[in-house]
Amino acid sequence: MKQRGRGVACGWYGIARTAAMDRAAVWVELDDGGTVKIATGVTEIGEGVLTGLCQIAAQEMGVRPEDIVLGDNDTARVPEAAHAGATRMTYMIGNAVAVGCREAFGRFRVAMGAYWGVSAESVKAFSGQVWVEGSTSKLMSMEHAVHVLKKERGIVIVGSGLFTSAHTALHPETGEATPWQSYVFGAQVAEVEVDDDTGEVQVLGVWAAHDVGRVINPQQVEGQIEGSVIMGLGHALMEEYVQVNGVTTTPGFAKYILPTALDIPHVTSVLLTEPDPKTPLGVKGIGEPAITPTAAAIINAIYDAVGVRMTRLPATPERVMEALIAKRSAVQLATSPIEETIH
Amino acid sequence: MSDTLLSDGSVAQGCHPTTEINAMVNGRKVKRTVPNHYRVIDFIREELKLTGNKEGCGAGECGTCSMFVDGKLIKSCLSPVQKINGCSVETIDDMDRDSGMSLLQQAFNKCGASQCGYCIPGMVMAATSTLRQNPVASRDQIKEGLGGNICRCTGYQKIIDAVELARDVQSGAKPHSALDEDSATVSFIGQRTRRLDSPAKVTGAIKYAADMFMPNMLHMQVLRSPHAHARIVHIDFEAARLIPGVECVLTCDDVPGVDNFGVFIEDQPTLARGVVRYVGEAVVAVAAETLDIARAAVAAIHVEYEQLPTLFDPHEAMKDGAVQIHDFAQNNICKHTRIRKGDVDAALAQADFVVEQTYNTQSIEHAYLEPEAGLAYLEADGCVTVQSPSQNITHHRHMLARILGRPINKVRMIMSTVGGGFGGKEDMIYQGMLALAAIKTRRPVRYVFTREESIKASAKRHPFNIRYTMGLQRDGRIVATKMVMVSDGGAYALSTPGVMNKSAILGPGPYAIPNVWVDSIGVYTNNTPSGAFRAFGAFQSEFATECHLDLCAQKLGMDPVALRRINLMRDGATTHTRQQLDRVLAVECLEAAIKAAGWEPGVPYRQGHSQPQRTDFNYEGSRDFYLIGGKTKPSVPLNVAAHHTQGDMS
Repeated sequence: MKQRGRGVACGWYGIARTAAMDRAAVWVELDDGGTVKIATGVTEIGEGVLTGLCQIAAQEMGVRPEDIVLGDNDTARVPEAAHAGATRMTYMIGNAVAVGCREAFGRFRVAMGAYWGVSAESVKAFSGQVWVEGSTSKLMSMEHAVHVLKKERGIVIVGSGLFTSAHTALHPETGEATPWQSYVFGAQVAEVEVDDDTGEVQVLGVWAAHDVGRVINPQQVEGQIEGSVIMGLGHALMEEYVQVNGVTTTPGFAKYILPTALDIPHVTSVLLTEPDPKTPLGVKGIGEPAITPTAAAIINAIYDAVGVRMTRLPATPERVMEALIAKRSAVQLATSPIEETIH
Repeated sequence: MSDTLLSDGSVAQGCHPTTEINAMVNGRKVKRTVPNHYRVIDFIREELKLTGNKEGCGAGECGTCSMFVDGKLIKSCLSPVQKINGCSVETIDDMDRDSGMSLLQQAFNKCGASQCGYCIPGMVMAATSTLRQNPVASRDQIKEGLGGNICRCTGYQKIIDAVELARDVQSGAKPHSALDEDSATVSFIGQRTRRLDSPAKVTGAIKYAADMFMPNMLHMQVLRSPHAHARIVHIDFEAARLIPGVECVLTCDDVPGVDNFGVFIEDQPTLARGVVRYVGEAVVAVAAETLDIARAAVAAIHVEYEQLPTLFDPHEAMKDGAVQIHDFAQNNICKHTRIRKGDVDAALAQADFVVEQTYNTQSIEHAYLEPEAGLAYLEADGCVTVQSPSQNITHHRHMLARILGRPINKVRMIMSTVGGGFGGKEDMIYQGMLALAAIKTRRPVRYVFTREESIKASAKRHPFNIRYTMGLQRDGRIVATKMVMVSDGGAYALSTPGVMNKSAILGPGPYAIPNVWVDSIGVYTNNTPSGAFRAFGAFQSEFATECHLDLCAQKLGMDPVALRRINLMRDGATTHTRQQLDRVLAVECLEAAIKAAGWEPGVPYRQGHSQPQRTDFNYEGSRDFYLIGGKTKPSVPLNVAAHHTQGDMS
């Protein structure tokens, strides 16, 4: 018979490199055609950060995301941005892009203010248009503004940005430290259906709430949460790299089982968007935090459904069935999978 | 291919009899002569250089190589090339040449369905087949249609959304404008801006390392250890070196500099030096004119080993007297991280309840769809360049310069498009061999892992054994947490020290606990090395904490949400490492999740406690995405025009 249950789990995660100085640098140039070159030393691993960086740069420079050219991923041509991992991309490089663009845009405003004879602060730009606040005549395209500054003033607008996140190392005996500046919290609820004749578990729904900071692109944040939840589902129920005397018995995807489209629940993402108070942009990250609660929420839901505690991952049908049989046989002695003492 | 036949009529080593293939590929007639063992994927990718469709597993399991032959979807890694003789083949490279993107590809683009993009060509082919066969396919039928294709990044949801959108636009149920991009009116930050790499990913145009070709390029293959722990007595590669087409054979003796790499501890040689410590460790590398010749050369190498005692269990490995896997690591301990806060023993003695339990997590494969691959070459100024999906080009450049004994500006690392990483591509396990081969042969060298090679040679998620003891008061307050975690780090350190740190710092969870004791011990064994993997030890340790809290809720007769609500950190909380936090939104996240889920409070496993069954199942009321704003503002004012209100903070 199929039994349903629900489980909950919380999670937290530190953003960027752990207990170490983290840093990222970028170069910026306002280029011909009202385009912007951004050079920084890392590319994405699929999470969508390049698109996010373009959105940030577009907003800061007054152009459109498609006007940005990203020179990335090359140790010989662009400044260091350290590595692609540790939920640090949007946080470290996003902030560095913002800092670099603010420097460049600040110079642009000064130059255009001088050109128009107005204060730098009154020069505004958005989506490829430049104008003076309150004026109906002082208005031109960014493309034309770049042309004017280069040809008439001999100015090329450039900037650079550095973002540093200062973290301290762990005390070797007590662990005392400030390992991160910013943390992401989260909670997930999972609903499962357990077939108590076969031990099979189907996850029907996951609701995931995470305080991701200021959101650059909600679609990509959801993508990270959905991907994390399904990876966590695989970890909870099916994936296991097995070795016998050092030789793997799961050498390919026929033996190493991964979730497919047929295994997935609907994932509902809830994004708490309060900006991080400590950084220029207010962004944090979500690449890793979203996988921390998932497996436990599913395992707790299995208990809620059929009353067996799976303490060893993955909870394969064989293991769930074994636990159900043990429970039914009602021999709750030392052989029980639960070793617990209560006083 | 005339040189494949020797004068006596036999076939040279690494060469194969050829076969002539006549086919229509993407509407063009092709006639080519290729080795007769080629599969369809080899013909399309290596012969025709149509690299849109990828090879993910070589065994028909992942679907990335799916293409149409006479209108029928096939897995091209399983089909001999002879099967397409006289047939018409459609690959992702030319799904809709005229408009740039087919309806389905536009829908993938709109929905943000691609992440790393490596599985997407296969997904688009499978989805095309699904809608061709059944234009009104339901969501469940779409899932079935995609059931033979693996995606590791997206969780499938946005892919399925995209297929539904394409179906509805195709049928007229939705207007074509549903595929249009959203336009920004006030701010580009907070917009669902379409991914800028998405058109190249949904059409297969983007190049991953294995899709790159250079003139005069050689192919690398690697001989790997069959033993978990053995001394290398002798390597005999003379026969391999003499095979026509073999350009170089590399062992550790060819490394000119300081030969060690690692993320935290540099303990691994580029190629095994005297000892192999796990099955799959690289021992000899070969670069040759063709992949087949390189394979034949590897098969012709003979290595004599003397087997050494092995360790596969971290608890055994820590015992006094156990064989030392590395000289510098006493009791094979790679890293021991400690957190000590308050007096755990005293708190446990005074607690109303003490709940103990042991948890075990497994070793896990990253299973990025793109197996490792790289291309190395020398530039005119003598700089050696390695293009690979490395997650850490900065650190790899440092290590590689030292290994090669060159100035750092004569080593260039380019991060090629990454077909999924999840931490598994942070280790420099093959870039050193490629650079050495390029320097030695002065030719470009490419190395593409098979799936089997990737699984056995690359890092895994650390398996953890976690002994948990928690003391609680009757009202649910946690007074003490003790976690003793032992983890199998495998044969080399890779990221083990960092993983131990993160598992320890975050392990007790986002809860305010006055007394905390954590030991997190990473141990060397002769298993496949464990390394970085999404959430870096915190997945494992937080899993134990969250399961344990459920067990405690059961013992206390409490709702598991209520138990967490009592203990979660609040604004100004002090962490387990005694860091003072300012804003803490842990409770807000919990409340948001249970609100979205429609959670009904109660003790877990209600029917087991003779309580009424839950009534909150299948709660559909909140399946839209949410954005919930907050009260803080960024510390530095945003440098934007006045009318750019912050639209993302609703």
